Amino acid sequence: MRIEDIKFEEKASQRIYNDYMKRIRKATASLSKTDQDDIYMEFNSHIYEAIHHKKDANEIDSLLDIIEKLGLPEEVLKPLVADKKLQQATKTFNPVHVFKALILNFTNGISYIFFFVLYLFLFGFVFLIFAKIYNPSLVGLYMKKDSFSVFVLGIINPESQIKNNIHEVLGNWFIPVMLLSIVLFYFLITLLLKFKKSINQKTLS
Amino acid sequence: MNETFVTNWKSQVKKGTLTFIILNVLKNHEYYGYELIEQIRKHTEIEIAEGTLYPLMNRLKTEELVDSKWVEQETGIPRKYYSLTEAGIETLTQMNIYWENLEKSIKKIIQ
Repeated sequence: MRIEDIKFEEKASQRIYNDYMKRIRKATASLSKTDQDDIYMEFNSHIYEAIHHKKDANEIDSLLDIIEKLGLPEEVLKPLVADKKLQQATKTFNPVHVFKALILNFTNGISYIFFFVLYLFLFGFVFLIFAKIYNPSLVGLYMKKDSFSVFVLGIINPESQIKNNIHEVLGNWFIPVMLLSIVLFYFLITLLLKFKKSINQKTLS
Repeated sequence: MNETFVTNWKSQVKKGTLTFIILNVLKNHEYYGYELIEQIRKHTEIEIAEGTLYPLMNRLKTEELVDSKWVEQETGIPRKYYSLTEAGIETLTQMNIYWENLEKSIKKIIQ
């Protein structure tokens, strides 16, 4: 659908309108083009209809009044952008979208902090792969020699290894296991985000 | 009388019932955004922060209670019409039953 801008009689009104619409574009810039256009067109339609319902009043006064009632794009659109970003993230499985969505929704509840921690774990695994390449002999998954309890996942110096009676268990499998953990964590986070709605409803009821 | 308390309470009630009011306004009619605001104002005398309607409508859409469609206009500026979905109608029926019961109970307490 083609986006048509509203034409105003007064130059000043046109400038105010153009500026407001530009701010809407800016506030929604992180969304997909379809979502951006959808929000833009809806606010455009609102301004147009409102102007035509206030025929008697002065154009510039009406416009200022309408814009004031709509609110600042940056504030009003914040929850909408956060919601749409989350929808986009769970639909595309794109890590950049997921990360952005988590940041935007951070203030929307404790559950997002939990998701954020899961995400940090994911970056931890990525970091460990590079650490292993850089320092193969010290990085690994260390366990106690006589039991199955995990002691350290990361870097530990040789003295501490002997002192604590631990040894590395994954060897050459370390990087493949980390890669697998990344994939698993990533799908877990995105699926959990997808099911968050039902989780929330269960906690509420 | 504690006026601030009453004002805060009123705004909480308005906030809490806005979704319920929107769904009821859309019960027998489809409306576009601006018209929907006018209807809410007409029926309830509630002045809503107009910009907040759109994020709320998006939430209702995500919950699959409301559907929307763009309709081209002769003016060149299309309107986005909102209507209730089947799930929306069923949900609203449940909400209305709950509301009626609540109203009865409250009336008993007030008397």
